[in-house]
Amino acid sequence: MGSEIIVVIVVATALIFDFTNGFHDTANVVATSISTRAMPPKLAVGYASVLNFVGAFISLEVAATVAQDVVEIEANSIGLLAVFGGLVGAIAWNLITWYFGLPSSSSHALIGGMVGAVFVAEGPDAIFFEQGILGKVMIPALVAPLLAFIVGGLAIVVLYRIVGRLRPGPVTGGFRFGQVISGGLLALAHGTNDAQKTMGVITLALVAHGTIAADDFHVPDWVVVTSATAIALGTYVGGWRIIKTMGSRIHKMDAAQGFAAQGAGATVILAASHVGFPLSTTHTISGAVIGSGAAKRLSAVRWGVAGNIVVAWVLTLPAAAVIGGFTYLVTRLFGTGAAGPIIVSTLIVIGTAFLFVRRSQQGAAPGVVPATESAP
Amino acid sequence: MIATVVDWDALLQVIWVSLAAGVGVTAAWGFALLGSTRALEVGRQGRPAEAAIYALIGVAGLVTVIGAIVFGIIILTGD
Repeated sequence: MGSEIIVVIVVATALIFDFTNGFHDTANVVATSISTRAMPPKLAVGYASVLNFVGAFISLEVAATVAQDVVEIEANSIGLLAVFGGLVGAIAWNLITWYFGLPSSSSHALIGGMVGAVFVAEGPDAIFFEQGILGKVMIPALVAPLLAFIVGGLAIVVLYRIVGRLRPGPVTGGFRFGQVISGGLLALAHGTNDAQKTMGVITLALVAHGTIAADDFHVPDWVVVTSATAIALGTYVGGWRIIKTMGSRIHKMDAAQGFAAQGAGATVILAASHVGFPLSTTHTISGAVIGSGAAKRLSAVRWGVAGNIVVAWVLTLPAAAVIGGFTYLVTRLFGTGAAGPIIVSTLIVIGTAFLFVRRSQQGAAPGVVPATESAP
Repeated sequence: MIATVVDWDALLQVIWVSLAAGVGVTAAWGFALLGSTRALEVGRQGRPAEAAIYALIGVAGLVTVIGAIVFGIIILTGD
């Protein structure tokens, strides 16, 4: 009975993480379309939510990587508690970076949290450092934003060569229409990569519980549907908040840049999802936006934000790992039953509510995807 | 060590597909806009042959974009 309760808590926590992931990433997905007036804000948010949902069903490669290639856990309550600790580590780091406005990656936080918790619970032999974390997570995560930067930059240079002599009116209208497609692909790509990570973690929990045999890996349909729903709802709810608070903080970019940036981000994320690389969609989209901006006017790019991304990239995995490991230890103080997760979950809810209230009182808006400054 | 732990086939696949699709499809959309806009302009100026050529460019660009997206979704959902 105790392990059943733990599984329920772990699944609920994972879906909450998925919801916060969608909430956290809404700006990345819709800001460019809203900034260039390609779509009205309400339509952009609804459209992104639907396509996030659809994207989650397209491929299960990333889920397989997260569930099988990063850590190995025992099929017992220790393994379950480790998964729980990892999730809490990810959520806690997400909240910390959200509070301080750092553009961190939910994906890296999740993987870092899992690594930290499993390392403490089951030792270093349970961590696939080389082929898993280094080969399938960190190296691709470093390559992806750089690749998106290059693709975004090349795409806008090529575009300006092709349409540079046309009248601005029809060109702008054409690219705004094009952003309906590129924005849709970006939302689809986001669902394909980000929802998968939660599916992978839930599946890992089911393996630890014994519901799924380790040598018979498959993601149950209910896991796919609930994860897809959670990220879509998070995107929708986060979008309303973004519409209310972003306002004039959305820096302008022209429709061609928006199209190039979204296209670059979508292709990198979709290609990576196909081969099972769990990326930071935040950093990848940021790289694409910076690339399309830098190709037009180097001085318009907010290089300081790019620097923040690098700092966040370096800090997130180890920080989330430390919190994940610590959470596991705290949970284990209450034994191997459900008491630990119940108590820790309650503390997390109280802490989250406190942070939200404090943030609301301060009146600050969340960080947004870096864009370029508008031309004077 | 990095040379032995990275799945180079997969990583290179991501790189070339992103470059080809990201730049190629974007360029194709650019040609679709170029073709359609110029076709209308020169058509109004009474140059039907030139308008037809630009229209073909526009259609080719649009077909390329649609084809690439459909192909991509088939590949993604195929495994």
